[in-house]
Parts: sequence; C-alpha cells; structure tokens
Amino acid sequence: MTRWGWLPLAAALLAYPWAVAGSDSAAFLQDMGALVLLAAISAAAWNILGGYAGQISVGHAMFFGAGAYMPLLVYQHWQMPPLLGVPLGIAVSLVVALVVGFPTFRLSGHYFSMATIAVAELVRIVVGNWDFLGAAIGLQGPARARGWYDLIFRSAVPYYYIFLGVLALLLLVAWQVQRSRLGYYLRAVRAGERAARSLGVPVRRYKLYALMLSAGFTSLAGALYALKTGFVDPDSGLGILVSVQMIIIAALGGAGTLLGPLLGAMILVPLQTATNTWLGGSGSGLTYIVYGGVIMLIARFEPGGLLELWHRQVTARLARPGEVRHAA
Amino acid sequence: MLLSAEKVAKHFGSFRAVAGADLAVEEGEIVGLIGPNGAGKSTFFNCIAGDVAPTSGRVVFDGIDVTGAPAEAHARLGIGRTFQMPATFDDMTILDNVMVGAFLRHPRRGEARDRALEVVEMTGLKEQAGLRAGNLGTPGRKRLEIARVLAAGPRLMLLDEALAGLTPGEIQRAIELLRAIHALGITLVIVEHIMEVILSLTRRVLVFNQGHVIASGKPQDVVNDPAVIEAYLGRGHGGARR
Repeated sequence: MTRWGWLPLAAALLAYPWAVAGSDSAAFLQDMGALVLLAAISAAAWNILGGYAGQISVGHAMFFGAGAYMPLLVYQHWQMPPLLGVPLGIAVSLVVALVVGFPTFRLSGHYFSMATIAVAELVRIVVGNWDFLGAAIGLQGPARARGWYDLIFRSAVPYYYIFLGVLALLLLVAWQVQRSRLGYYLRAVRAGERAARSLGVPVRRYKLYALMLSAGFTSLAGALYALKTGFVDPDSGLGILVSVQMIIIAALGGAGTLLGPLLGAMILVPLQTATNTWLGGSGSGLTYIVYGGVIMLIARFEPGGLLELWHRQVTARLARPGEVRHAA
Repeated sequence: MLLSAEKVAKHFGSFRAVAGADLAVEEGEIVGLIGPNGAGKSTFFNCIAGDVAPTSGRVVFDGIDVTGAPAEAHARLGIGRTFQMPATFDDMTILDNVMVGAFLRHPRRGEARDRALEVVEMTGLKEQAGLRAGNLGTPGRKRLEIARVLAAGPRLMLLDEALAGLTPGEIQRAIELLRAIHALGITLVIVEHIMEVILSLTRRVLVFNQGHVIASGKPQDVVNDPAVIEAYLGRGHGGARR
C-alpha cells in the first residue's frame, strides 16, 4: 500500500454511519458496521500471533471470553460499571496466555493448534458448569444505563465509533510491530524456527510476546462485545466458532498483513448477516456452511488471502519489462 | 583459541553419529571439514552451532563453555551458520531476510536496514533485494544464507556445504565472496565436498569418517592419505601397503 493509501479507507470508515443514515434500514446497517469493526478487531488481534508469528491458535475464544465475562461479572455480583471489568479481563487473559503459552509452545504446527482447541474447550466446559460465572445461562449487563459509564446506547453509532477507535489503535500497534524487530522476528519464526534461532532469535520468548499482545487485544474485543450486547454465555463468549471466525476472517483478507483482517471482516460479516436474515432463524446452521465454503475457497485458490491476490495483480502491473524494482 | 570442541559425541539411540570428535580453530583460520556422506559432519556442525546438544563432550567458544546452550545463544556470542538445505525465509524479501540477521546487533530498524543494505551489496544480492526469497534458485538461496549470517555479525562462520549445487562459474564467485568475508576478520569452518573449494580456500583440513576425525593436515597431504582414500572409495583403493 502507498504511504497515504489508508486515508481514503479511514475517511470511508468514519463517514459510514452518516452515509447510511438516510437509508430505510439505517439502524440495521449501522449495527452491521459495528459488528464488522468488532470482528475486524478480533481478527486483527488473532493475526498478531496467527498471522505474523504463524502460530495458528484455534483457542482464542478463551481470551475473547475472558474479556466478555469480566465486565458482566463485576456488574452481576457487585453492580459495578461493566467498564471496570475491562482491564480485569485483559489481566486475566494475559495470565492465561502465560500459563497456556509455556507448555503449548513446545508443540509446533498442527499439534499447537490442537492443544489450543483442547484448552479453550476445557475452559468453555468449566465455565458452563460454574455458577459464579453464570454456568450455562451466562451473564447479563445492566438493562438500563445508570449513567454514561455503563456505556449503554440505543443506537449502534456510539459503539461503532468506540470500536473504530479501538481498531485504529490496534492497527497502529500492529503497524509498529510489523516495522520493528519484533515483527521481523515473528515472521522469521513463522518461516522457519530453526533458521530463526541460528540468527539469534529467542523463539519461545518472541512467541510469548506475540501471544500476550494478541491475547490482550482479543480480550479487549470480547469486552467490547459484552458492552454492546450486554450478555454473554459459554457459546457466544467461549465457543469454538468464536475462534474459528477470527481465523477465517484473517485468512480471507490475508493473514500476516496489516489490513487483511479488516478486509476479511468487511466481506464475511455482511455475508453471515445476509444468510441469517434471508433464511431466518432456521438459517443459523448456515454459518458453518459459509465458514466451510470460505475455508475451501481460500485453501484451494489463494492461501495468502485476498490482499495477496491484489498485491500480486499490482506487482504484475508494476513489474512490466524494462522496469526494475528495487526495495524502496 | 577461538573454538575448541573436545571429544564431542552425539548418539541417536544406539547410532553414534559423532563419536568423540575434536576440533580446534584459531581466530582468523579457514578450516575445511570433509568426509563421505553420512560421516557425521553435519551433526558435528549442529553440535557446535547449538542446534542439537551433544551427548557428551565440550564446546568452548572464545573461552566460554557453550555446550548444550541454545542456538540463539551461540548466535549472540558470534557463531553463525548456514544450513545444508537452505533455510531462507521464503515469504520475506531478500532484504528482510538479511534484516532478520542484522537485528541481532542493531535493534533499531533504521540501523538494521542500513547494515542489511551494506551486506546485500557486498554479497551481490542488491539487484534482487526487493524480491521474495522464494523466487531465488539454489545458488541465490545459498548466497542469501551467507548474507543473512554475515549481517548477524559473527566472529566464526560455519558453512555447511554452502557451495554445493553451484555451477563452476558460481563456485568461483562464491569462493571470492568467502575470501572477502575472511578478509573482514571472520574465521571460517567449511564443510564441503567440492575439492576445488577446499584446496583453494583452506590451509588445514579435517577428514571425518564414521563420526571420527580420521586425518588432518594440509589439504594436499590429506587427499593423498591412504586412510582418507579408503574412507571415500572403500578398501583396496587405499594403497598397497596395508
């Protein structure tokens, strides 16, 4: 992407709620916009570990869930503003990341992925049987705002802008990571751990850095979800689909790229909403089919994701005969 | 003494890949390591580079015992190595590959980039610096491995068949590159099958067979040693005096 290429994108995202305000289904479109941003945040957070470092976690729901449960937990038990649970959720996530990271990073490739599934499912089952955490019923937030600090709005627009702010922060962090030694080391780890080590990369330590950064932001995404919906249960907060959605969105747009997760979310979330709306409640099982279809399409035609496709087109056009490209 | 490996052994189950090998390298030397396939050269290399922990024995680098230390610690101390099968980061550009190496001594991006650009220039990869490493053929990948290690600022470079698979012209250019690297004050230990490389670069050669060092000395003498000829060609070729 060119130096200022992100500006039109930022402008479009800022203007979106206004642009659709005149439409008959303004509320619906604004709500979907907020959901797109939320999904983009989760996927971009997952992308730090799964994309840059190539460690495919299928257990990120546990961090999302920690972020979603804590705000509602502090309200349910102590009537505190859910907002206060957000840092708590992040802290819990970081601890879980450390505890889970040390043993699982001994595993590589598919074994690591399977271990993350196992741990996340274990967490889901434990939470689902734990009355303090609402067991199978889940937790609820305040029904009515007691003050601004409850962050309850009737319209989706305030959420939209809060999510947009968080996404901007996350993308800024990811961009800094990409450019720094951390980013180069993570990509080296993904490309070949043995070679990375031979060049002085402390592989396990850097994987842990990536996991903690990734878990922290995933947990923030979970918290935003809980603040907006005011409800979480083991399936919506900790279910395997939560993890799978992050992976598919990142992979669709381009895992390991800065804007891939956002692009993936812009495509997948409306697609999901459409299938659910058009086919009514009975269509909810279709989510699985859509996910499966997307996985097959990516795996078969463009493992690098859509941004890779675009990148290749542009490179092909730029690299016409007689024009030698150098690293800028 | 820059590097000293004493009685290094590596067993895989009952198989002794390396069975008590010694190697002492002075700063500024170029030492060759030859021997038939499966002699244990690569495993010995991996023990020295920290890729695998030796079953027994000791590896001392610049006075520090590094036996069993992780590979990244070896790199930090100044032991660089290339792989027999090139292990370039194929999705990254050539410059970015070299930058991964450069980051070891230059944590800041700008400095790492400057260093990588110097190295890319020196190793003749400048024209392709913006290409993905996966686009390179074997000679380019081997060259990139050398560049990447060089950028990490080693005092000792272990080259595991870094010139295998190159055409005669490429071999000549690679030999010149290794001479230039040596001129920077970097000590080289090279595993190589191509005798032309050994004869033109090294003053001292060790011959490996079945996990042991069976001969050492000047390259011209070693290649005429009956024990060496026998190791390569089998019994009956080692001379009539047996």
